[in-house]
Amino acid sequence: MKKQSALTAILKAKSLTLTVAAAVVILFFYIMNREFLSGNSIRSIMNAMSLSGMLAVGISILLIGGEIDLATGAEAMFGGVVCAAALAAGMPIPVAIIAAILFGAVAGLINAFFVNVLNIMSFIVTIGMSSIYTGLAYYLTNAKGINVSGAFLKLGTTALFGIIPTPFIVMAVFLVIYAFILRYTDIGRAVYMIGGNRAAARLTGVNPKRVTTIVFVNNGVIAAIGGVLLTARMHVANPGAAASGALDAIAASVLGGVSFAGGAGGMGGCFIGLLLLNAFINGLMAVNLPTYFQLVAQGALLIIALSVEYFNARGRQKRVAAEARELMKK
Amino acid sequence: MEHQLLIQGLSKSFPGVKALDDVFIKAEGGRVTALMGENGAGKSTLLKILAGDIEADEGSFSIDGQAQTYKTPLGAISAGVSVIYQERQLMPSLSVMENIFAGKLPKNRLGMIDYSRLRQDTEDIIAKFGLAIDPRASVGSLSIAYQQMVEIMKAYRRDSLVIAFDEPTASLAEAEISILFGLIERLREAGKIILYVSHRMSEIFQTTDDVIVLKDGKNAGAFMTSAVSETELIRAMVGRDIGNTYAGLDRNTELGAELLTVRDLETDKLQRVSFSMRQGEIIGFAGLVGAGRTELARAIFAADGIKGGEIIFGGEPVRFRSPKDAINAGIALCPEDRKEQGLVLSHSITKNISIPVLDKLLKARFLQTAEEEKLADEAVRKYDIRTPSVDKRVVELSGGNQQKVILGRWTNEKMNTKLLILDEPTKGIDVGTKAEIYQRICDFAKAGIGVIFISSELTEVINIADTIYVMRSGKITGKLSRGEATEESVLALAMKADG
Repeated sequence: MKKQSALTAILKAKSLTLTVAAAVVILFFYIMNREFLSGNSIRSIMNAMSLSGMLAVGISILLIGGEIDLATGAEAMFGGVVCAAALAAGMPIPVAIIAAILFGAVAGLINAFFVNVLNIMSFIVTIGMSSIYTGLAYYLTNAKGINVSGAFLKLGTTALFGIIPTPFIVMAVFLVIYAFILRYTDIGRAVYMIGGNRAAARLTGVNPKRVTTIVFVNNGVIAAIGGVLLTARMHVANPGAAASGALDAIAASVLGGVSFAGGAGGMGGCFIGLLLLNAFINGLMAVNLPTYFQLVAQGALLIIALSVEYFNARGRQKRVAAEARELMKK
Repeated sequence: MEHQLLIQGLSKSFPGVKALDDVFIKAEGGRVTALMGENGAGKSTLLKILAGDIEADEGSFSIDGQAQTYKTPLGAISAGVSVIYQERQLMPSLSVMENIFAGKLPKNRLGMIDYSRLRQDTEDIIAKFGLAIDPRASVGSLSIAYQQMVEIMKAYRRDSLVIAFDEPTASLAEAEISILFGLIERLREAGKIILYVSHRMSEIFQTTDDVIVLKDGKNAGAFMTSAVSETELIRAMVGRDIGNTYAGLDRNTELGAELLTVRDLETDKLQRVSFSMRQGEIIGFAGLVGAGRTELARAIFAADGIKGGEIIFGGEPVRFRSPKDAINAGIALCPEDRKEQGLVLSHSITKNISIPVLDKLLKARFLQTAEEEKLADEAVRKYDIRTPSVDKRVVELSGGNQQKVILGRWTNEKMNTKLLILDEPTKGIDVGTKAEIYQRICDFAKAGIGVIFISSELTEVINIADTIYVMRSGKITGKLSRGEATEESVLALAMKADG
């Protein structure tokens, strides 16, 4: 059996346009302001990518499996609060981190329970959970946040070669590991199958509830680790942090070709989506666009990028069809 | 003069295939014109072009001499063309009358919907067709057969001149089919141009006046139904004689040990169902749609819960908790609805085949993709799946090839299937592929696999199965052996009144 030709593979690669777009965005802002590619600026892009990147890894997998977690930002924030509270109570750093991870796992289990057992849509459940974590965090911290200090801060403030921040490295490692898991393990494949067709997957021996539980717990844990890193970087666990975390992560994932309907996407696209979004936001700051317009531009980017992708996909289909016609005539 | 639909030089290509190639079709008003051909012959493409769903690459068509150039479904409707697909195009939560008049609801002077007139107009149409349907009933609450009738009435209401049916009987039971034929008869009397796509020979001879055969997207013959034989039609469709489909089967003659015993099985839909079968045996389940056959299959496979009774498989009582348990024990199900229940359409042939054996393809926790692909390659070779590559997404395959992908999934070397449950395996599949699947079923039996064969097509059940069970309203109402079962005897059991 012959494999698909390299040409069709490239034509089919959804992320090609996005890679080009990311390159164009970076080049554009570099021309506008040479400072855009300075060490400081690159570090700040990487820092920004680290939290939304962690969240996007978990969210992408959930989306591929046909679920969503709108509480992922709140779970990250609350994970940070748990960690900071444990440190404040005098617990050693590893114990505090494990406490945060445990919180993340429990949060995932709670989501999975409502989705699997009570059959409530994850969209609704997680809107509710997000509100609960945020409210609880404000209450528990007296709305002030919990400061952290000492060796713990190294997790968030050190950088490899003085330029690549530790949180970014952690995020990149997660991204690569999950790229492998999605591609080369049975559970990774099962995620695609339940997202593509839950009923058919079940009738072929996949246990959709088990897989759903795993992806929710996985997402909670990743979010909590992201929250720990954010807390270390900010020197404080703040109940107002990561408020837009879920939406930013979803935007990056979908921008990177992860299907909102489930069953399609991957870590490579997810990374390019992240890069494009964060380079763009930082670029807007580099050209001194007022903050409010940054939000406008950010929203416009998402919508324009997805519209372009739509037209590209249509163009590709037409090209392939025309090619086929040519072949027929020969 | 009678109405006339004339299609000339119609061509349409898709990536990798020329679906229609210079097709010529002439259909006249007051006659039913059958469109026949194997899957992939181009019938569906033709209907989609007629319906304005897709555009032709070349060619023209005209109605009563007037050239048609529409390119949208709305354009097709205003040109007087209605296509009634297998998948209903209705709004299930709305009422019958709202569906029939969708897009043209009668309004009163205030611009509000005039419900009393709507109801009156709908009742008029229902009466014209001699049916008994409440105009206010929601469409979703109707049986599939009645939903189809609503669609026909909708086409009639639109004053469509051309009405095309895409395998209208595929999901209807025998009794419902005769009502459908009554409706088509009315449309014929009204002088409509009727196109009728079906794989069922008996229907073609029963209802149509002309037959147009397509093969590989080209015209392969046009006949008057009254002047053509079944053999001639099949020859035109497949380009060769396939003789008597059933007589040539290489059957299994040796039954093995007891394989499956079901005793007093009860579910929401089943009442005290009992039967048993042996290795290498093919047992058929016949009955009307909704008789409980699919429910029985799903209960054995643990896709749905059971309330009572006993299942003994391979000599031991079993209580599967999920389809996965059933699969591990050696049971496989090819569900009736391939697209919704059987396949992950947006993924490749390879990935669809490997789902149940993913855990067997692991080495040091990683999937052996080369080995996975080998499974797919083998299935493609063994079942002659027509595809340029195992990477092709199954959504792009024809129905017959999709079914073969499912068979390939359950019968590869990594599987240990002892019982294969086939729920309507030939539904919507062309004659040539059907014959292939019949032989496969016999091959499975020869290999000692027990086969449960559920079908609404009477001829195939009574000719393939060794033993035929007839079901009605969740109960088994009869057991016949091949040879003693006739279409009449099975139908009588399927429709037997309570008592």
